[in-house]
Amino acid sequence: MNKQRSKDYRKQIDSALATPKLQDALHKFGDAFLVSREKAFAGLDFETLRGNIGEMKTGVREQHDELLEQFINNAEAAGAIVYRAKDADDANRYIAELAKQKKATLAVKSKSMVSEEIHLNKALEKAGTKALETDLGEWIVQLAGQRPSHMVMPAIHMFKEEVAELFGKETGQKEPAEIEHLVEVARQQLRQSYFEAEIGITGANVAIAETGGIALVTNEGNARLASTLPKVHVALIGIEKLVPTLEDAARVIQILPKNATGQLLTSYVTWIRGAVPSADEEKELHFVLLDNGRSSLAESPQCQDALNCIRCGACANVCPVYQTVGGHVFGHIYIGAIGIILTAFYHGLDNAAELVKACIGCRSCVSVCPANIDLEEIILHLRETVGDEEGIGAGKALVFRKVMQNRKLFHTMIKAASMLQKPITRGERTIRHLPLFFSPLTEWRTLPAVADTALRDAFTTKPQKVEKPRYRVALFGGCANDFLYPELGLDLIEVMNALDVEVFYPQEQNCCGIPAIYSGDKETAVELAKQNVDAMLAGNPDYVLTTCPTCAMALKHNFVEHLKDNPAWAERAEKLSSITVDAASFVLNQLDGAGMFADLAEKEKVTYHDSCHLKRGVGVWQEPRQLIEKSGHELVEMDHADRCCGFGGSYSLTSHPDISKKILQDKVRDIELSGATCVAMDCPGCMMQIRGGLEKAEVPVRAQHTIELLASALRNKETQE
Amino acid sequence: MVNQLLVDLFSEKAIAVGAEVVSLSSVSEVAEFVAAKIDGTLLLPDFPSGSRLKLKTALEDAGINVVSDKFREVAEQSEGGLTGANFAIADTGSLVLESTAEDIRLATTLPPKQFALLDPEKIVADGLEAVPPLRQLHERDARNYIAYITGPSRTADIERVLTIGVHGPKELFILLIPGLSSDFLEM
Repeated sequence: MNKQRSKDYRKQIDSALATPKLQDALHKFGDAFLVSREKAFAGLDFETLRGNIGEMKTGVREQHDELLEQFINNAEAAGAIVYRAKDADDANRYIAELAKQKKATLAVKSKSMVSEEIHLNKALEKAGTKALETDLGEWIVQLAGQRPSHMVMPAIHMFKEEVAELFGKETGQKEPAEIEHLVEVARQQLRQSYFEAEIGITGANVAIAETGGIALVTNEGNARLASTLPKVHVALIGIEKLVPTLEDAARVIQILPKNATGQLLTSYVTWIRGAVPSADEEKELHFVLLDNGRSSLAESPQCQDALNCIRCGACANVCPVYQTVGGHVFGHIYIGAIGIILTAFYHGLDNAAELVKACIGCRSCVSVCPANIDLEEIILHLRETVGDEEGIGAGKALVFRKVMQNRKLFHTMIKAASMLQKPITRGERTIRHLPLFFSPLTEWRTLPAVADTALRDAFTTKPQKVEKPRYRVALFGGCANDFLYPELGLDLIEVMNALDVEVFYPQEQNCCGIPAIYSGDKETAVELAKQNVDAMLAGNPDYVLTTCPTCAMALKHNFVEHLKDNPAWAERAEKLSSITVDAASFVLNQLDGAGMFADLAEKEKVTYHDSCHLKRGVGVWQEPRQLIEKSGHELVEMDHADRCCGFGGSYSLTSHPDISKKILQDKVRDIELSGATCVAMDCPGCMMQIRGGLEKAEVPVRAQHTIELLASALRNKETQE
Repeated sequence: MVNQLLVDLFSEKAIAVGAEVVSLSSVSEVAEFVAAKIDGTLLLPDFPSGSRLKLKTALEDAGINVVSDKFREVAEQSEGGLTGANFAIADTGSLVLESTAEDIRLATTLPPKQFALLDPEKIVADGLEAVPPLRQLHERDARNYIAYITGPSRTADIERVLTIGVHGPKELFILLIPGLSSDFLEM
């Protein structure tokens, strides 16, 4: 592992965390974005739209060579000069030479992320041509000597006072920090440069094979000026921007502004094909088609979907990590979830290695991606690649490979830990303080102690009261339920027994393997998948229940994926997947059991926290809410109910506790503001995080698993009888 | 045939993004409207429906200083630009301007006030329905510069505050005139 790089990255995180104003701005932006985005998609079916985009772009990837040839032929027929650049240097050299040949002293640019990707401005400066950014945000960032912190809103990290100071240096007078005034200053300052520049440089949002033209999707009008006034127009185009037809282009343009800024459409969509008139001559139009790692990306079966990206930037807008540290930390040139992936291919794995680990895995990006890209899957694959290249760290390797793969050793060590912790816990269930260098772990949240008796041991002594069971189900406890919260498993038995279901606990079950995957250790994850398929199917259960959605995701999706190419295992992994259900859904859907709990609970104001992997991993969010309401509670929704709590397993414990802490504080505030006295959830990981945060912040709200609430409703009835 | 539902939807969406939409019935009303909006020079590029209407004369009669050539030299000092529109898109409130002729582009990008005449008959429902005429324009001309224009120029690059008129027009006036032209390929 590159220790210096990690150390530097940590410093960047610290400094971002010390800028609450930035966090506040990004949080507000994230909230406003979701509202306007929803409005923009009113009456449209987002799932269908993005399904179409994903399919179309996948088709483009499969026929890329033919479509690219068609595009080039049509473009050349219309008088464009096409250059295919294999990498950044190649593209820069071509454009710099063109600038020299035109004796250009000034090039006006409209916003182009590809030009950022290849550092075109530097290359032009070297050739003696000043590259002037005319997009307002890009200009601000250029004046500040920085790089964009967001792909659509480059200067989102800056405030009007800073902009006023930068502009004041340009105009030579003090500029008031009023936004309308500053925008007018930009208009005045930049206007003349369109007339003076010999070259105009733009990007392209789509390149249409059918016509050999491009389309630009913009708001400010600067791209129209940059592509009209100078005699030479250079459009820098990533080769993944290709679409087959005008209809396909229209579909991209339909979804892009809605998903990027919540606009129905940007102020301008400009379709440009060929050498159009320019003054009394013809425009000289150059299309520079950039590869720079895109072909390699296309050849990676695990990552190639990233080429379907249409650069809306929404994956950053909704990302809790981005909202906490901003795009200068959670990004290289490209930012957010897609940025992590593109960085790995366009700027090298080394530049992506820290970013790959900074993803918390909440899948909020996946839920808003307009091209249907499973960004998290790809990031996890890259994490595995970084793990293979650099090692996952000696400590983690020991835990995962030597300990976790050996279930008995793993469980013995957890039990030993429960003895060792005694002096710290003073016999309580919660660790409030840890000594020495462990102390940061309990500074901002308490941690649960390892239980004296694990669920697997408690289970055998719990009598079950079912005479003729409707079903026999196996419980997949998962590490947290098993060793931290055994009472949750025992509550599940009560709930199931009340519904005439018998529960058994396969003793050979092991960790679901997700922690290993999240740390980049696929080998351990595959071994654990096999152990668990064997263990869970052994007793021939009717269903397998989970109380942890991360485990549910592992059993339902990951095991199948890990073992699909192994004929000895594939079918059984499929079988396990098909009978695995989270406990709340099982009560509602398979057992139709909500009526059993009707108005049994002692009425309380309950708010519900959606666990990332339950809502976005297995698609469950209504079921627990229905059960809670049916049982007699008053359900009140908190703001950002489906925003991550910041847990993320080892993310909060070892890899990024500082970011986790901040995300947890947001969650605790939302819970407190809801006015509820209890927050329900369906994940022991979230329980550990949220309970710990509420306790430390001394917020008098209980954090309970939905199953615990149902069990206590049953007990409430018994006491009343 | 005018589809009033499409006209209403188009107007609603265009107004929502900051355009002003007015229904007028004659060339003299157009001249009167424009004259009330500007004091300075108006760029008037050549376009078929404008010529048929003898727009230039009408505008000049209304006391407007109309310029029809050397846009590169005068555009910067002019106050407005007036063009037609090939057609419009209802669900986003967008105008479609075939702007391959440079004068159309200069008149619609540089002055602070943009005026566009639209025949209310030429409105399609959405971006996908705009594709067939868009394709026809591509088939007719070998080289194209076609603009979808939705409201005035805007930015939210400073503190995400929506601000109008950063580089392009600060105001957009859409003048609905029946009987102007039913040909989508013609402005």
